[in-house]
Amino acid sequence: MSTPSTPSWQDVLDLVTQLDDGAYESAAVEFGDVSVRLSRSADMPVTSPMAMTPPQSLAPSTNGTAHAAVPPAAPAVPETAPAVPAPAQPASTGTVVTAPIIGVFYRSPSPGAPPFVEPGATVGPHTTIGIIEVMKLMNPVTAGAVGTLTEFLVADNAQVEFGQPLAVIAEEASP
Amino acid sequence: MNGPQEVNKPIVLVANRGEIAVRIIAAARRIGASPVLAASAADTNSLAARLADRVIVIGPAQAGLSYLRPEYIAEAAVHAGADVVHPGYGFLSEQPELAELLEAEKIAFVGPRPETLRAVGDKSSARRVAVAAGVPVAVAAEIDDPAAAAALGDAIGYPLLIKAVHGGGGRGIRLVRDSAELADLAPQAAAEAQAAFGNGSLYLERFYPAARHVEVQVFGDGDGGVQIFGDRDCSVQRRHQKLIEECPAPGLSESRRSVLHDASRALVQALRYRGAGTVEFLVDTESEDVVFLEMNARIQVEHPVTEEAFGIDLVAAQLRLALGQNPGLPDVPPVPPAVAIEVRINAEDPDNDFRPNPGLITDVHWPDGPGIRVDTHIREGYAFPPFYDSLMAKLIVRAHSRSAAVEALRSAADAVVLEGVKTTLPLHEFVLSHPDFIQGGVSTSWFAPAWEQRNAQLKEAVK
Repeated sequence: MSTPSTPSWQDVLDLVTQLDDGAYESAAVEFGDVSVRLSRSADMPVTSPMAMTPPQSLAPSTNGTAHAAVPPAAPAVPETAPAVPAPAQPASTGTVVTAPIIGVFYRSPSPGAPPFVEPGATVGPHTTIGIIEVMKLMNPVTAGAVGTLTEFLVADNAQVEFGQPLAVIAEEASP
Repeated sequence: MNGPQEVNKPIVLVANRGEIAVRIIAAARRIGASPVLAASAADTNSLAARLADRVIVIGPAQAGLSYLRPEYIAEAAVHAGADVVHPGYGFLSEQPELAELLEAEKIAFVGPRPETLRAVGDKSSARRVAVAAGVPVAVAAEIDDPAAAAALGDAIGYPLLIKAVHGGGGRGIRLVRDSAELADLAPQAAAEAQAAFGNGSLYLERFYPAARHVEVQVFGDGDGGVQIFGDRDCSVQRRHQKLIEECPAPGLSESRRSVLHDASRALVQALRYRGAGTVEFLVDTESEDVVFLEMNARIQVEHPVTEEAFGIDLVAAQLRLALGQNPGLPDVPPVPPAVAIEVRINAEDPDNDFRPNPGLITDVHWPDGPGIRVDTHIREGYAFPPFYDSLMAKLIVRAHSRSAAVEALRSAADAVVLEGVKTTLPLHEFVLSHPDFIQGGVSTSWFAPAWEQRNAQLKEAVK
């Protein structure tokens, strides 16, 4: 890519796509007034150093003692089951790709550009199927499985919540 | 969540969980707003989630990936079409980052301005602001020469603390009782501070071994106007965690009370503070000293005792102010017409060093009666999650006198049925029956030895 002083939106999205196809776990690129940071995991520090020490009284139990104290009768997991409000029911069975982060889901790298993938496309674990924007930061969403993307469960430009089903990947069935 | 939003019905995003989320939802309803809850995936079945008009899942159970991420909360506020975000206490309530992100989205933040959060957010800056406003602070002096420390210490008085200027989190603090001990320890402390913090600078600070924790509830209009809503005593503490709080602080002389209230008013005016806040003080039981500790720029866990004693709704007032409305708070006298006391019921095992004790709550019944209030998010069948803090409920009792309140609270606490998890109720039964507490005015160092003695006596009785 040429490096004009002010990149266009398309430049940025091309960059995102390009980096995403690479073997990077995370990447930070700055050019002109624009800085782009990408991470494959949803938990990259986004705003400037998150020097937030959780308040004592509300600190998450990271030391494990609290976890150890949970009786098996009270798993937290069932609580998470209905996490998503009224998801569109997938018409086909397969792996459901869920939103790794709250934000706005885009199927294309930029408005008007062709979508990353169309239903019916063959995808691999690292295939980008969309982007979720949270507070102006773009987070690629990957298929996470090998197979055929049979359908999208949310519209382009949709506000999505953490854990919301986005698409269905049907595993390659041997004929 | 279905159906159109009524026109002109403001939307309140509740960016917290547990009992305070339930409390904020109630306040939102009270002012005619629509509450929307930002919840982690572990909290989508919570009581707050049931009570809210809509739930937005912001991230996984871990607070570090959900409740502590300002950008997720701001995004949820945009999704909700929120007019205002209430951060509760803890989590992001005092983080300027969230306030700033919301400002950029033109969404109101329930709390002071970001610059106020910064000004009172760290101890040294808060101390500077307090000194400038004429608020009494602990006598302190920086040591230029460790060899001359003893003379400096003699001028301050003993006991005192040696602290590293660049230290933090309680590290590098030493207690000294006299001149000789200070002369002995100062060079050592300087060498240790140099090694630990890359800087050997030290200061001395007067230490109060038997002080009470008294705090003043303030409410600022953001333009220098301030209302004071009495004081609270929160001296029954275990490892700096408050266990029992009451309003008003018992046994305060009129002059001491006005020192506290006047200092708090001056601080709030100097900051042009916006909204509810608390100014915390140490009130010495061995001298007439009163010193500023810190300012909490949020609603506090123990706010219900103030609400009950004065008959006000602080959380509704916060929301109204943030929405640009009149907060609707009355002017009140320094001492409320009633006494209110609160106990915190935590999912902790008091007989096992207060180990967190999450689990399935199999039965709950709360007492009822005149002046009894319960702020809680637990119910029968609720799996109390291990991911967050252990506060299950606050039991608050209001009565015409302190002794009547203590008695009524003891009886109410005794009537609580809470099965499935170990709770701190036995601790409250102990404190509420103890002659020292009944008399009133214990210091923050009272609880630990009293509790130890109780345990030793129990052990002895078993033998």
